[in-house]
Amino acid sequence: MKKISVDHLARVEGNGGISATIDGKVVSDVKFSIYEGPRLIEKLTIGLTPEEDVSMSPRICAICSLSHKNAVLRSMENALNIKIHPKSYLCRELMHMGEMVESHSLHTYYLSLPDYLGYPNAIAMASDFELEVKIALEMKHFANHIMKVLSGRYIHGENPIIGGFGTFPSRDELIFIKNRAIQFMPFVKKTVDLFCTLDYPDVPEKETIYACCEPGNSNYGFWGDEILLSTGEKFFRDDYQKLTNEFVVSHSYCKRSRYKGKPYSVGALARVNNLGERFKGETGKMYKKYFNKRWHVNPLFHNAAQALEISYCFERIPELVDEILKYEEDPKAVKYTAKSGKGTGLVEAPRGLLIHHHEITDGRVSLVDIITPTAQNAEDIERYCQIAAQKLLDSGKEDKIKERMELVVRAFDPCISCSAHMAEVTHTPSGSWKNKLEEIRKNSSPVYIGAGQQDRSDDACGIDIAQKLRGLGFKDVWLGSEIIRDDKLEGYTEKNTLVFFDAVDFNEKAGKITVLPLEYILTHSSISHKFVPFAASIKNLSLQKNAYVVGIQPDSVARGNKISPSVQKAVREILNHLRN
Amino acid sequence: MNNGKLKIGIYELTGCAGDALLILDCEKELLDIFKAVDIQSFLMASSDNRDGKLDIALVEGSVSTEREIEELKDIRERAEIVIAIGLCASVGGIQARFTDPNEWKKKYKEVYGDIEMTHTKPVQSKPIDAYIKVDYYLPGCPIGKEQFLDLFTRAVKGTLPERYPRPVCVTCKYNENDCLLNKGIPCLGPLTADGCGSICPNHNVPCFGCWGPVEGANLTSEYYLLKEKGFDIESIKKRMANYSGTKLIDFLKQFKKESK
Repeated sequence: MKKISVDHLARVEGNGGISATIDGKVVSDVKFSIYEGPRLIEKLTIGLTPEEDVSMSPRICAICSLSHKNAVLRSMENALNIKIHPKSYLCRELMHMGEMVESHSLHTYYLSLPDYLGYPNAIAMASDFELEVKIALEMKHFANHIMKVLSGRYIHGENPIIGGFGTFPSRDELIFIKNRAIQFMPFVKKTVDLFCTLDYPDVPEKETIYACCEPGNSNYGFWGDEILLSTGEKFFRDDYQKLTNEFVVSHSYCKRSRYKGKPYSVGALARVNNLGERFKGETGKMYKKYFNKRWHVNPLFHNAAQALEISYCFERIPELVDEILKYEEDPKAVKYTAKSGKGTGLVEAPRGLLIHHHEITDGRVSLVDIITPTAQNAEDIERYCQIAAQKLLDSGKEDKIKERMELVVRAFDPCISCSAHMAEVTHTPSGSWKNKLEEIRKNSSPVYIGAGQQDRSDDACGIDIAQKLRGLGFKDVWLGSEIIRDDKLEGYTEKNTLVFFDAVDFNEKAGKITVLPLEYILTHSSISHKFVPFAASIKNLSLQKNAYVVGIQPDSVARGNKISPSVQKAVREILNHLRN
Repeated sequence: MNNGKLKIGIYELTGCAGDALLILDCEKELLDIFKAVDIQSFLMASSDNRDGKLDIALVEGSVSTEREIEELKDIRERAEIVIAIGLCASVGGIQARFTDPNEWKKKYKEVYGDIEMTHTKPVQSKPIDAYIKVDYYLPGCPIGKEQFLDLFTRAVKGTLPERYPRPVCVTCKYNENDCLLNKGIPCLGPLTADGCGSICPNHNVPCFGCWGPVEGANLTSEYYLLKEKGFDIESIKKRMANYSGTKLIDFLKQFKKESK
């Protein structure tokens, strides 16, 4: 077994890694691990006053601190039934623009661009691209300035409070922001041109589901009361759990989310895919010029989408300032009398959909649920890395795997402090399938399923194993045909793991045993077709992510009733292993 | 490489990465910072990181996993001077709020269930001085730019700055703010270490205590003053708990003792 790993993902915010394990000719395991320790934020805030919670929750993440602030405020204000003054609403949007530009300019220029231009960091890049680096610094500085003016300081500002703001920016401060934003426009256009024309590799490319807030009124924007999916489905804010379904994995303190059993993506690329048609002005023109169908399938275009959003923000900032200036009086923070209530706040953080849900009982926080963008992206980050690793391995470019996985992870812009350093590639030693089976058996109760066709020589091996397991008195053993016909899986839950036995052509030596997650088979171009009927028949979707395939390399799948000696030997090995 | 420059490493343990980000936020000074010293490791900013001997290690974040304990001990071995930057490294941060190990275990289970972590085991969140000797503390959630640049320029010259033994109120007075306590708003300014420039009271928002408890404060006097003004001492104590980390125990002992 060989393992390729990047232990400390550099140039991402936080502490995590990515690893791929290679078993012969297949990538058998990809893990996006987050070493950042557990912080238990959702428990820390129980018993606090709503004001204390609004101060504390944004400490989840420094980079998205104002997104957290806006999300917790929206959630609390929904729970306490508060309607804020339009000036407060507009100022919060301006503040959010600051964070979006700050985060996107940091990510595009400082964290991602060095990858494409071949430098270890932006400082090294500065010797050849001095102007770009300097102006990008200026842009980030300006965005920080907006955040400071509105929220009180660069990071963890406390000026936005329940019901409005502590103080409002002065007319002069606002006009400075407007004028400065206009001055940046030539550089903003250059930024879009640069990031939309980078040579993004075509591996990995694959469809996914994109989720973001529905800003309403056919506008582009960074918050809303509904979640919009690329499938066209919409959910009201309080129904967010229909999308997220959080669960825990054993290699990360950051929880995971799937929609109907499938990984999905959030972030700038999700927003541009779902809402890009709504861009107006210069951004609209540039969107029409650069957007194409590769943006639907290639996560590396996150950087291009971020550049478009920088442009959107720079066009929106002067408009916002004009709207804010219409209100001369500074409204006092809205007082509230409610002591109890429930609320949800949806916001688009730079990295994607951020959800805060709070319940207040007798003036104290009694329940908190926070779903961060990285928690939602983690499954898709793993999936895209697996696709990339397998594709590169297939085309004999194993040496590129590590670098590409890093590129993919970085494109998603994971804010690993949301719960995550970075890539690793390893090869498994022969016989590693036993360890994998042991791990499955240790952590859950397995359900064994024999797949294949009885009359196709070695393809009968899965059925043979299942029948023999029954003969040995094993419970929870089924044949593939029974499952498709009778829906035998209905009674099982996510505590169960599905283990399929089948002949799988990995282009290996006959009889080689490989254990793979079912999903990898489904994304593998040459071996997926056979498993599709099974995957589709697993209605209980939580089971699909807990499903593995024990594949045996067949010698022959021609018509016939005889299993070849090498495959017979593999069958015996599996049975002996399971019996002990 | 020996170019006479100090070798510096910046490390992040568990936290929000706000202190490392604040260093990146020193935009105007950033290129100078990178030129003045030899940055050996700074994961947030660079992919070219080395694990050799260091003159100074800046460590952010609290220790929350077994892996982090090992990492921290390794940093201590390699570095002449270790500086805790930020509230999490200095006192454990907000995630060290559960000072009772049993309560922490219970809450941990509520969040992550029974699943056994395979990548690294969790430990109850603690400041870095629970495991290693720390030479200097720079508090704040996040650290303040002025305090950081002050520390950085002094450290480059081979000395460390004196600490800041004064509460937020001192700066707040310089800033000519109306005292929020006089308006009946529970502000933690008198109990909290200074360094933020009294930013919250400047915005008419009470201090939430994010620099942690001030050292050497006259807590007896504060206790009676707050009581006299009609504040609920219990809710003040609760509010202090949010950003005091493991220092809360000492703070409460003193507050209780002196208030007898």
